[in-house]
Amino acid sequence: MEIIRSYISKKQESTSLAFFRLSFGLLMTYSIIRFWLKGWIKEMYIDPSFHFTFYGFEWVKPLEEYTYLLFIICGLSAFFVAIGFKYYLSIITFFLSFTYIELMDKTTYLNHYYFVSILSFLLIFLPANSSYSVDSYLSKKSFSHTPKWCVDSIKLLLFIVYFYAGLAKINKDWLIEAQPLKIWLTTGSYDLPIIGSSLMQQEWFHYFMSWGGMFYDLLIPFILLYHRTRIFGFLLVIFFHIFTVILFPIGMFPYIMIISSLIFFTSKTHKKILEIVTKPFKKIIHNVREIDAINIKREKFAITIVIVFFIIQILFPFRYALYPGELFWNEQGYRFSWRVMLMEKRGYTTFKIVDKENETSFYVMNDEFLTEFQERQMSFQPDFILEYAHFLGDHYKEKGYNDIEVYAESYVALNGRLSKKFIDPTVDLLKEDRGFKNKSWIIPLNEKINKL
Amino acid sequence: MKIFRYTIFSLFTILLIMSCSSDSDEEQNQVPEFDRSTILKNYAENIIIPRYDDFQSALANLKSSVDAYVSSPLVSTFDKMHDDWFTAYKKWQHIEMFNVGKAEEIMFFNTVNTYPIDELRIVENITSKKYDLSSSNDWSSQGLSGVDYMIHGIDDSKEKVIQKYIDDSKYGDYLINLLTIMSSNTDQIVQDWKTYKDSFIQSSGNSNSSSLNMITNDFVYYFEKGLRANKIGIPAGVYSGGNTLPDRVEAYYSSKNSFEDVSKDLAKEALLASENLFHGKSSTGASGASLKTYLDYIYNADVNKENLSPIISSNFQKAKDALESLDSNFINQINSDKVKMLNAFDKLQAIVVNMKTNMLSLLSIQVDYIDADGD
Repeated sequence: MEIIRSYISKKQESTSLAFFRLSFGLLMTYSIIRFWLKGWIKEMYIDPSFHFTFYGFEWVKPLEEYTYLLFIICGLSAFFVAIGFKYYLSIITFFLSFTYIELMDKTTYLNHYYFVSILSFLLIFLPANSSYSVDSYLSKKSFSHTPKWCVDSIKLLLFIVYFYAGLAKINKDWLIEAQPLKIWLTTGSYDLPIIGSSLMQQEWFHYFMSWGGMFYDLLIPFILLYHRTRIFGFLLVIFFHIFTVILFPIGMFPYIMIISSLIFFTSKTHKKILEIVTKPFKKIIHNVREIDAINIKREKFAITIVIVFFIIQILFPFRYALYPGELFWNEQGYRFSWRVMLMEKRGYTTFKIVDKENETSFYVMNDEFLTEFQERQMSFQPDFILEYAHFLGDHYKEKGYNDIEVYAESYVALNGRLSKKFIDPTVDLLKEDRGFKNKSWIIPLNEKINKL
Repeated sequence: MKIFRYTIFSLFTILLIMSCSSDSDEEQNQVPEFDRSTILKNYAENIIIPRYDDFQSALANLKSSVDAYVSSPLVSTFDKMHDDWFTAYKKWQHIEMFNVGKAEEIMFFNTVNTYPIDELRIVENITSKKYDLSSSNDWSSQGLSGVDYMIHGIDDSKEKVIQKYIDDSKYGDYLINLLTIMSSNTDQIVQDWKTYKDSFIQSSGNSNSSSLNMITNDFVYYFEKGLRANKIGIPAGVYSGGNTLPDRVEAYYSSKNSFEDVSKDLAKEALLASENLFHGKSSTGASGASLKTYLDYIYNADVNKENLSPIISSNFQKAKDALESLDSNFINQINSDKVKMLNAFDKLQAIVVNMKTNMLSLLSIQVDYIDADGD
């Protein structure tokens, strides 16, 4: 108890939090602008007539034209977070708007969006505006120290992300078969000059990258934590993520991880960077009074929330163990667990509508309702298939069919295995409810991939 | 503890440095390299360009026989025109899938083979003489399917059709216009391939806009929609609650008004064209680098455990057998025994499944053009 109490009262220079706030905020502002400029708001949220929702969040829908407004709010709040202006209001607004955006359509789910969501939730409870912020300029108060647990909680979250990503790589396909890297490097990296048609084609290299990737994910948090290896670790982080940028279209994720990893450096380093960045504003912030340590209002409450948050974060990725069957095939408990780049999975799924009244049946052309992107995601993920089947049921009932059944004819290929039947074609999917119950209508893979 | 960590770190570092520096001496052994541009070269030089040339000359024949027929509408000139139309339509089946370059830019396949055609619109065009065949609104009133209507559909027998051309020159005018625009579009594309060829072959990378990705996507899309759905599935009622739609068969009027049963021959030609593309087979029968040889390479390089290419090859054979067993007139087949059509559909579906799940996956080709992030 005494140890805990003394840990909680430990302080650290406030520059670390300020640095993290600034870089995270700027990166998020850029992300939102980039998303907009790529035309993805229209393409992913406005154009599609149907959206895949997360169970329990069916009410979160794109807001038609107002979706743009949502992105403006999100981007603006990210910028306010960066400069530390009305910090608490801004970070709460950012967390809510960003999370709302991610919940609007499951098709766009990415692990790093989830990471941004939960990280911004955590930031709500950290006094990241203590120094080097507009807030401290306006209140004429700047705090030189913040509780150490605040910075440590960000480190812990990063630790979990990396370490769990490493644990997820301990599986048969990744280590024993070097899949899916074998496919991606052989045929997917052909573009690369010189190494594309030579090194990338070598089997030993596929294994090297698979095992190297696993060790990297498992060890990098430790390498970054330990001060003597920190710089080496950070170089590794840069090397590894730049490598993934070259190989795969993974957008902002590498940059978010590279910038976030800087949190492992000392407050002095952060201070140096901040001094350089804020130099032009030096004269204005001149008369800010420096106070030693901040007293977080309701610190106990904040700590409680953060502890509960981490307990959930640590346990949640293991929920897959509650389901029978192969995780990679059934994908029950797959998301929100830092399973990154583990699968080359493709599906082909069509739906048969049986009209019981007239004893006839017909097939659905998916592109009548789904974009190509949605169809691709739907075709190999059971929860998408079920939700879409229900949508089709509702659609045709509305069209005047009273008594119908919906069957899926589905084939899925996973990590180089040739495709197999995925969904039991004799099950009327309209009779299956959405939810967290085991999906017994998935035809099992009959192979164990995920050993951990 | 410290020592343990240091050991791991230094091992890891050594491995990393090795990976960056030692590739040169390792690369000569083991797996033979596969040069993707050889596929593109074979496709462009031995399949796409010769097939376009074939179509161009078939179309030129059709155009001159249309001119001859319009200037003197007789049974003999009509028969010659009909035969040339059928030949051109068969040649067309070998190029419809190549929706790249100029063809994509001018939406060529939509202008040549949209069906069912819009009878009312054609009649209106003929009468009003005010139309713009380059507009997408007129896709369903032109092309080889449009010619089908003009020479087999404006009345229900050869004599009556010929009589209409004799009575009123507006039919001949429209027919000639259809040929003129098709020919000029074809000429443009043939001309364009002369310069496009090199950049097409060089773009052997893996991005969404690279040639191999585009041509493979076009091929799979064509096979799923243009062949499987349009020629077989839709008319057989697969998507329409069991109600068959015989008027949706390709080149409907020729079959319907008993000029000649062409639907099965066209479908067979399309399937052969697809099979040839997969196997890299040219019109002379010579084989070269192809999706098949690439899949073989991947299998031999141990990327996957079961070779996909013989499976797809045998899928093609089964589909050909299923098509062969159909009535030469799909309207009759659908009306008498649609189950056989559905069986052919299933055989084509098997190819779609294998291409969309397995082939695209093994070749790392994204099926959609959307430029989204992954993680």
